[in-house]
Amino acid sequence: MKKLFALMLSCAMVLSLAACGGKDSDSDMEYVKDKGVLTVGITDFEPMDYKDDNDEWIGFDADMAKAFAESLGVDVEFVEIDWDNKVMELDGKTIDCVWNGMTLTDEVTSSMECSNAYCNNAQVVIVPADKADEYQDKDSLKDLSFAAEAGSAGEAELEALDLKCTPVKDQATALMEVAAGTSDAAVIDSLMAAAMVGEGTGYEDLTYTIGLNSEEYGVGFRKDSDLAEALNKFFADSYKDGTMKECAEKYKVQAALIEQ
Amino acid sequence: MELFIKQLPTVVGALNVGFIQTLKLFFITLIGAFPLGLIIAFGSMSRFRPLSYLTKLIVWIVRGTPLMIQLLIIYFFPGLVLHNPIWGGGETGRFLAASVSFILNYACYFSEIYRGGIQGVPIGQEEAGLVLGMTRKQIFFKVTLLQMIKRIVPPMSNEIITLVKDTSLARIIALQEIIWAGQAFMKGSHGISGAIWPLFFTAIYYLIFNGILTLLLGRLERKLDYFR
Repeated sequence: MKKLFALMLSCAMVLSLAACGGKDSDSDMEYVKDKGVLTVGITDFEPMDYKDDNDEWIGFDADMAKAFAESLGVDVEFVEIDWDNKVMELDGKTIDCVWNGMTLTDEVTSSMECSNAYCNNAQVVIVPADKADEYQDKDSLKDLSFAAEAGSAGEAELEALDLKCTPVKDQATALMEVAAGTSDAAVIDSLMAAAMVGEGTGYEDLTYTIGLNSEEYGVGFRKDSDLAEALNKFFADSYKDGTMKECAEKYKVQAALIEQ
Repeated sequence: MELFIKQLPTVVGALNVGFIQTLKLFFITLIGAFPLGLIIAFGSMSRFRPLSYLTKLIVWIVRGTPLMIQLLIIYFFPGLVLHNPIWGGGETGRFLAASVSFILNYACYFSEIYRGGIQGVPIGQEEAGLVLGMTRKQIFFKVTLLQMIKRIVPPMSNEIITLVKDTSLARIIALQEIIWAGQAFMKGSHGISGAIWPLFFTAIYYLIFNGILTLLLGRLERKLDYFR
């Protein structure tokens, strides 16, 4: 028993010693430039980041990220991440930024260094299409049971309105809840709703009705990273010379674009 | 139904890509965990006490914590705590980290099966070998190991089939295996968005593959039946 205890102690010591190693370089920008590649954490999310027929990542966010990396003089690498682990991926340096239509919530701004907002978005209510007429204002929602992504802006909005809400894993699961009838309605963001419900999608029987709030998209970097500042400058420049607008028009999100 | 038929080729294509990742992880785990498990089994049976305590401690930690947490620790610990992201952010790094986690985890389970198999061989056989003048090495390889292999096939089959399904846990570090590929269609991927059925469709892949494995392992078990 004593030996076992001694072993456990020595293991703990080795681990804590190992934890002392390594040192952060001062500037995140220098780190990325040394590495020669900007690793962008994304999820497959049309029209922001998605693959074209040649397996290339395209989309409004992907194209802007490519242009930003070029302005830094580094290559760009897109990596699909588990959205729940985005802060861990950033802090663990497996990615350098989260650039994927990320809503600037308190959770996001407190754990990341965020760029200025570049796109508007809203949280909308999803209901079965045949009942859509009944739910066109906030008062009509009070007896419904909702599903929303855990930790999302939609969930926060439902809580603020004091509505019944089941937190689920992601927005797609929230939609599945409504389709399966396990929840009466769901709250997801409007860009996604436009792509995912209605004609020609797997959710032909669903539709979206009213918007609950408006929100903004931003890009997240490691806490205290100087890259956020560099991106703000890049956004301002490319807004001024019209390339940002051009890119937005290519992916039909120009209406949501925010002036830089 | 029309939509389903239109989407099927795209979905099957994407799921096949995901399933290849699943299979790669499955076979690499087996290749790594079979020998490592045997080494751990020897360690825990060692007469050198510190070694056997150490291996038992490792087995306790690995079997006592969820594989999902182990994946997160192995992938994120180097970057988060040691400030040295050894795995990198790319697909290869994620696959390597997942392989290491799975090999370690399964080797610990295998080691206990090996230990049961080795210790289950009656002591009389070893004594008989000694009387016949065989060396310890000969006894182990020609008497014990052969019978151990026969004994461990049923419990091993269990673990192997569980492993096929456990590979889906690797999605937590964004390894794009088949469940990931199926789930991607719920948001939107390959021009199809809001499709739920691909996720459920992945079950068919698992079912068929496990069916083939069950047949093969059953055949192996019958082949090894010559001891009775």
